[in-house]
Amino acid sequence: MLADLIESLAKIVFIFTVNVGVFAPILGWVERKQSAVMQDRIGANRADILGFTAIGLFHSLADALKLLTKEDFVPANANKFFHTLAPFIALVPAIAAFAIIPFGGRYELFGREINLVIADLDVGILYVFALAGLATYGTVLAGWSSRSNWSLLGGLRASAQMLSYEVAMGLSIIGVIIVYGSLRLTDIGAMQEDFFRWGIFLQPVGFIIYMTCAIAENKRIPFDIPEAESELVAGYFTEYSGMKFVMFWMAEFLEMVTISAIVTTLFFGAWHIPFVTDAMLLSWFQSAGPNGAAALAMLVNIVVFFAKVSFFIWLQMTIRWTLPRFRYDQVMRMCWKMLLPLSLINLSITGLVVLLL
Amino acid sequence: MSEISKDLHTEYMVINMGPSHPVTHGTVKFLATLEGETIVDLDVEIGYLHRGFEKMCENSTWQQVIPYTDRLNYVSPLINNTGYALAVEKLLGIDVPERCKYLRVIACELSRLSDHLTNVAAAGLELGAFTAFLYFVEARELVWDLIESLCGARVTVNYVRIGGLKNDLPERFEEKVRYVFKEVRRLWVDVDKLLTKNRIFIDRVRGVGAISAEEAIAYGFTGPCLRACGVPYDVRKAQPYLVYDRMDFEVPIGETGDNYDKYLVRMEEIQQSMRIVEQALAQMPDGPINVRLPQVRMEPKEKIYSRIDSLIYHFKTVIEGIKPPPGEVYQAVEGGNGELGFYLVSDGSGKPYKCRVRPPCFALTAAMPRLVKGRLLADIVPTFDMINMIGGECDR
Amino acid sequence: MSTTTGLGQTPYSVQVGIPAAALKAKRVRRRLDLTLWERLYVAEIVRGLVVTSKHFFINMIGFIFPPAGKKRKVFTVYYPEEQLALPPAYRGRPVLVADADGKEKCVACGLCEKMCPAHAISIVAEEKAPGERYPARYTLDMGRCVYCGYCEEVCPKEAIVMSDEYQGLAQRDRSQLRFEKEQLLRPEGKVKTRLSYVRRIYSKWNY
Repeated sequence: MLADLIESLAKIVFIFTVNVGVFAPILGWVERKQSAVMQDRIGANRADILGFTAIGLFHSLADALKLLTKEDFVPANANKFFHTLAPFIALVPAIAAFAIIPFGGRYELFGREINLVIADLDVGILYVFALAGLATYGTVLAGWSSRSNWSLLGGLRASAQMLSYEVAMGLSIIGVIIVYGSLRLTDIGAMQEDFFRWGIFLQPVGFIIYMTCAIAENKRIPFDIPEAESELVAGYFTEYSGMKFVMFWMAEFLEMVTISAIVTTLFFGAWHIPFVTDAMLLSWFQSAGPNGAAALAMLVNIVVFFAKVSFFIWLQMTIRWTLPRFRYDQVMRMCWKMLLPLSLINLSITGLVVLLL
Repeated sequence: MSEISKDLHTEYMVINMGPSHPVTHGTVKFLATLEGETIVDLDVEIGYLHRGFEKMCENSTWQQVIPYTDRLNYVSPLINNTGYALAVEKLLGIDVPERCKYLRVIACELSRLSDHLTNVAAAGLELGAFTAFLYFVEARELVWDLIESLCGARVTVNYVRIGGLKNDLPERFEEKVRYVFKEVRRLWVDVDKLLTKNRIFIDRVRGVGAISAEEAIAYGFTGPCLRACGVPYDVRKAQPYLVYDRMDFEVPIGETGDNYDKYLVRMEEIQQSMRIVEQALAQMPDGPINVRLPQVRMEPKEKIYSRIDSLIYHFKTVIEGIKPPPGEVYQAVEGGNGELGFYLVSDGSGKPYKCRVRPPCFALTAAMPRLVKGRLLADIVPTFDMINMIGGECDR
Repeated sequence: MSTTTGLGQTPYSVQVGIPAAALKAKRVRRRLDLTLWERLYVAEIVRGLVVTSKHFFINMIGFIFPPAGKKRKVFTVYYPEEQLALPPAYRGRPVLVADADGKEKCVACGLCEKMCPAHAISIVAEEKAPGERYPARYTLDMGRCVYCGYCEEVCPKEAIVMSDEYQGLAQRDRSQLRFEKEQLLRPEGKVKTRLSYVRRIYSKWNY
């Protein structure tokens, strides 16, 4: 009982630290530096502590400190309760979605079976969709409660976009679920031990649709019309400043991590190294004894998982800095006239193939 | 409004895209009346950058006006300089030496490069393609480095003089031009790959802002926007000035006049401008760059230091200004946005009586409501970008 | 080319008065036949990603192994630690040239004052001996100066030149922007390159 509790707490603390403590600030730095290097620039690297610049890593700290000390105002006619509540509603689902993502397999360590996932729900992936639905409210409330024409436009666009793309996203994942036969993410991850059973080979179209819909949910370019910088100044979070602004911004980055994690789990072999089975991995570390081998294998799998997640974050950022943005009606048309039929066709073909094989 | 909304109590929303807004690069105000996201009416208000150029000209001598012309279309200042100098020379009835004409052509085309690079870059920026923006800004930096080595400043150039130029080419200019054009062509290919066939970009700009040729001419369009409608009017070909009739270049024309055509026309003109500069550098003869008229153009400093008549002419032209005979003249050059015209009236004194500028983007901005009515709010962005309204030119 | 526009079906050359041989109009390639992959967004996205990734990796490697003569491959100049090499034509702040005795060469003829398009210069002239003028007060208002270079161009004595100073020009108060003669003087040695450039471009060999 106590051991279970400690194990859960350890996992929660680990994920929370990795996510909010490491990923969020680092991603701010990565965004700046990656875009700079792509554009033949150096990027921000002047913030220093005692003359020691860590190639710009302190800028995240400087940003956080600056935004903490900013005046926190609510516009005159705004609905104060919802104005303050909206950033929280946007942020919490982004952090909470990580609860079901397995960042490693099952290991026998000191007589216990450790399952590297915080909550192994049998509804698995549906939990993430539920949270994505909740995140919509954050954006809509932010846009509406600011009582400004620009924010209202941003909130309107956001609500339509996010709702539509949730539908397409859900449908695209059903194909994966049919192929693997389970909603649990740990099962799906475990079944990808064999390289040729990776999701990307079994459901390539599903991958593309899911990636597109997830980027649209996250409101990143090319789908960032709710916060289109050049049209609506800042869209639905025009009237936010200080820590609340940070929360929206952090929600966007953490959702990027979540999307990458889900893509890795469903399509790219979760924590597995290609062509290396679990038994082979354990056999590499035989010299350290059964416990040591399990611990080292656990470490390797966690590193592999986060490496894949980092690659997809890099990909999302490159997409962001390369492509122009869609117009609002084109976003809607793409979802309802392109992605939805495509995912339905994908679904039917998958179902047929699974039935016949 | 639509039938459904007749029963609902709906109203139009008026949005003010005010003078300082990320997308209106150039200070201009749009009052957009929206029904949802569709634009019902658009009211354009210019004049936020009016600095009284014409009034200032009436109080300055003919030569003192040249730095003011730099600030008209501030992304292609050399073209403004050249236009004004050509107009005054027409008033005076003088002709500049050959080498001066070739150098003026080179300067104009470098400025046109800078103008088109800026415009396409800004269009990319406002549509969200930040990387395309920065690639063309890098290219523009290199072109500006060339201009800086030529005359000492990147934007406020003050290079062309009445009756000649300020100075000749610097050392190793051809080498620098070769290097810069290689880099610009490389970046052009990159931006072409990023944008031209990009379906997202095409969906944003194709079919938006289309205008027929008759209507464009009725509004007074000139330049890339008119050429995008299919009318091949280019002042460099229709009324050749300087040595453009000896240059071999093509005039790109579009079809429907929408934003995509304007973008393609400008991209092609970048390539053609580079061609012209290379030809001019190859064909340029040696010789003087200033006309030998002390009443008009300052003589070499050795003469001023040693001869009394040169010194007197120098003092008189600086203090009283050069004195063209009374009369009026109109001279048009091909600016970055279209036909840039200078209408000068001289009363025989050393200061202009009137110096009117025909800004090409004034007519284009006036057509904004026509181009954008009935379309979505997000369509204002690429349409206004490709019109390339430069505040300094539109408002003077 | 006999293609027509909507203008009453007349060919181009007739409409705009340019003979067709001289006109050389070129149709832009508007009617793109997008392939299926391009219409599905995929081909262009991949091509765009390839372009930016190429820049990304070339620049990343250029941080570790910089090309010859430069500190890094990217285009940025890391100001203020590194500064750009200015061309000799560069027009910075106007300065007064002092001869060997430390006195200004200026004879207060007033040409720069008359020529300045921004009316930034004001001179109070005095004579110290018959025929020898000097400026008792020479005020250059840097708040008005537009760095056009006209003062340098008209000076008959090479007494004012555009130096290459572009740093340290900002002040906290507008009154401190009006520089007097003492603040504007520079010894001739410091502006030697500019003086030789000015002599070269305004000499009869460059005219």
